[in-house]
Amino acid sequence: MQRAFFGSWTIAVFGFLYVPILLLIAYSFNDSNLNLYWAGFTTKWYGLLFGNEVLLRAFKNSLIVATASTVLAVVIGTSAAWLLHRYRFPAQQFLGLLIFVPMVMPEVLMGVSLLVLFVTLGMPLGFTTMIIAHTTFCFPFVLVGVQARLQGIDPSLEEAAMDLGATPLQAFWLVIVPYLMPAIVAGALMAFTLSFDEYIVSIFTSGSESQTLPLKVYGMVRVGLNPQLNALSTLFIAATALIVVGSQFFTAKKST
Amino acid sequence: MKTHQSKLLAAACAGAILLAGCGKKDDTLNIFCWTEYVPQAVIDKFTQETGIKVAMENYTSNEEMLAKLLAGGGAYDLIQPSEYTVQALHKDGLLQEIDQARVPNIKNLAPEFRNMSFDPGNKYSVPWLAGFVGIVYNAETIPGPVVGFADVFTPENNKRIVVLDDAREIVSWGLAAANIPINDASDANLEKIRPMVKDWLAKVKVYDSDSPKTSLSSGDADIGVVWSGEAALLFKDNPKFQWVLPAEGFHMFVDNLAIPTTARNKDLAEEFMNFILRPDISKMISESFPYYNPNTEARKLLTAEELNNPASYPPGLDVTKAQLFSDIGEQASKVDEYITTLKVQ
Amino acid sequence: MAVSAAAITLAATPSQRRRPGPGPWFFLTPMLGWLLLFVVVPTLMLVVVSMCERDSLGRVIYNFNFENYVRAFDWKWLKILGISVWYAFLTTVICLILGYPVAYFIGRSSERVRGLLIMLVMIPFWTSFLIRTYAWISILSHDGLLNAALMSLRITNTPIGFMYTPFAVVLGLVYNFLPFMILPIYTSVEKLDGSLIEAAYDLGARPARVFGQVVLPLTQPGIAAGVLLVFVPAIAMFAITTLMGGGTNPTIGEVIQNQFTKARNQPFGAALGVLLLILFLFSLWLSSRFRHVEEE
Repeated sequence: MQRAFFGSWTIAVFGFLYVPILLLIAYSFNDSNLNLYWAGFTTKWYGLLFGNEVLLRAFKNSLIVATASTVLAVVIGTSAAWLLHRYRFPAQQFLGLLIFVPMVMPEVLMGVSLLVLFVTLGMPLGFTTMIIAHTTFCFPFVLVGVQARLQGIDPSLEEAAMDLGATPLQAFWLVIVPYLMPAIVAGALMAFTLSFDEYIVSIFTSGSESQTLPLKVYGMVRVGLNPQLNALSTLFIAATALIVVGSQFFTAKKST
Repeated sequence: MKTHQSKLLAAACAGAILLAGCGKKDDTLNIFCWTEYVPQAVIDKFTQETGIKVAMENYTSNEEMLAKLLAGGGAYDLIQPSEYTVQALHKDGLLQEIDQARVPNIKNLAPEFRNMSFDPGNKYSVPWLAGFVGIVYNAETIPGPVVGFADVFTPENNKRIVVLDDAREIVSWGLAAANIPINDASDANLEKIRPMVKDWLAKVKVYDSDSPKTSLSSGDADIGVVWSGEAALLFKDNPKFQWVLPAEGFHMFVDNLAIPTTARNKDLAEEFMNFILRPDISKMISESFPYYNPNTEARKLLTAEELNNPASYPPGLDVTKAQLFSDIGEQASKVDEYITTLKVQ
Repeated sequence: MAVSAAAITLAATPSQRRRPGPGPWFFLTPMLGWLLLFVVVPTLMLVVVSMCERDSLGRVIYNFNFENYVRAFDWKWLKILGISVWYAFLTTVICLILGYPVAYFIGRSSERVRGLLIMLVMIPFWTSFLIRTYAWISILSHDGLLNAALMSLRITNTPIGFMYTPFAVVLGLVYNFLPFMILPIYTSVEKLDGSLIEAAYDLGARPARVFGQVVLPLTQPGIAAGVLLVFVPAIAMFAITTLMGGGTNPTIGEVIQNQFTKARNQPFGAALGVLLLILFLFSLWLSSRFRHVEEE
């Protein structure tokens, strides 16, 4: 009864989330450049996409940067959240505030200041600088998520592990991390999404070899968003959905 | 011949690197340009014919380009500044002089584009495409006649108007309507036109510099002051969109290629400049961007449909009399604040 | 409430926290180093730049004064800031209302379904932001799908102007921030002990009471985190507000962005940014003090 209410609310919200997605999938088959009305079915955009080296390379770069930034953000964010929760470091409050700075700072400020920093340090702009920049504004999101999960954690969890002979490090890895896993996964998903779509910071910290998808897309607006982008997004969503559904199916089979 | 030349050049450079360690050169041309403004087909053809690899980075506004260039982030061989940016960069000595002997195709340019006020004699820049800012309207929903700004910002058009999200542009229209030179954006003049501009902006529905055609196509706006290329695209799609250059005054903008002082491969940059000045290559650029092509030889190759697009090539236009923006330097900040304030009130 | 999550993070959970030995320090140092180099240093640079002037080309001149700050304390910027905060507040509240039930449903689902649903929440956001937004524009525009549907259902005779209104702005913001509310709440719901809820029911409480007195307090950290992760970034948002709102109501993010582009006035933009930063950090700190007192 209660499930029914929450369930239908969820379906409605999912509808809201997916309506524009279904539309853009439909447009990927639309025989029109401006995508404002339906002009006929075609798969030519997919064909053109596979020949569009520039776009595909940008997509690949986005994946690389987003994945690396997510991994780093998760590692830094989770371990920082745990350390701050578990131990009483000096200047704890100050550290806690400092962590929020990347989240609060407008992207253009972060982009420009990091650019100047990298140039001063003599670092060439490219994947490394982009990953550093993306990680910096992503890890607070992971951290906040993990901290929320740490609230009200049973302290005896860690105690029990240590009573059984585990070092704090082992206790962290074998007991705390599994407990935190939903928050870590949630943080990773958020970090990936943020990084994948980041434009402003990328513009200032990228080199010619590391042009990501948003950099290409933002300028395309002037000439009309190329339906190849719709095709690319459709394929990406389809691939991700397949992987997710497939892995669920696979783990289900395993457990039976 | 060209391939031979460049192969010789590449070989010479490789030899020079080995012998004299002129390590700063590399054989890749680094272009820093507006996204999508350099068609990939043009770049591919260039590499195919000359063997020179091209690396491209993009930006979406002159100022974005300036910010990254001045911070010293990349070593760009070619940038794509607009006319007032060329002026500003040259004033600060940040552009290299072009060796015109290496860019013979410059003769293909129309004479009026060889001696523009911001760079007489094309010493520091080579025009890419030119365009105008004018009035586009849906002739089916807006009864004529529409000849100038006064016909745009009328009570009937309240909340049906789209304009560029560019403070400098908006101010220049106000100055033109008030019969003041469009580059004279002094504080006094700004105050003079304040009531008029405030009244104008109260009627605006959408500010959009990236794709003003969107709101016009979708019917959320019926009339607007936009880039000529946007209007040309609308006209191409549906001739109900009419184009008019404002009677009170309008300006032409010219996007250019230029070589910054930090460029590593000036010779490759010049070669590219020469390449795009070829009529067949310039035609390729025009096909993607229906702006005003300054290359007379290229214009001979354009289709009748392209040449008859009133937004791309306004009939009866005397380009030599077109006004250009000049750099207003620090005043840009005041102008921006001025328009932001008026938007908020 | 927006800042209570931060307050939670700052307030010490009692007795269990020990002074760190060399091990924890060893692990904290990389994070400290990262923070120092990539957060503290750029922020300091920003503060320095905010006190400078600039030349006609927009380059920074190191002539120190507080002119930019004096200029910043003007009603027009405060009004713009107020609008931005208001949009962020609305967005957060709507995200909370829409997202909590979803997070609750997913968190209480079976393990297999949970993972699937959470991924399905995120997948739409792995399309490019611009394409998503333009899809919304084509739905909401004058000649768009929504109006076509409404007119064919005879609900209205003329197209309604959904686009380029505050409604469109909030819709765009809510759409893009919803996952950032759902995910943190989900992690709190997921660890709810089902037996607690059952026990409450067994004691005769009605659903509303169970929810208000058992579920809600237990998921409070998740709610606080979600609110923080939506409200804070939403204030400095500008791309969505410009695209969906038509630029008629500039936000503080847009103004700062402008300083770095069209206005060529980086120092002033930096000053506005620094003030924004101080405003935030101050309210975070203030709420943590408040929380601290409450606990004692």
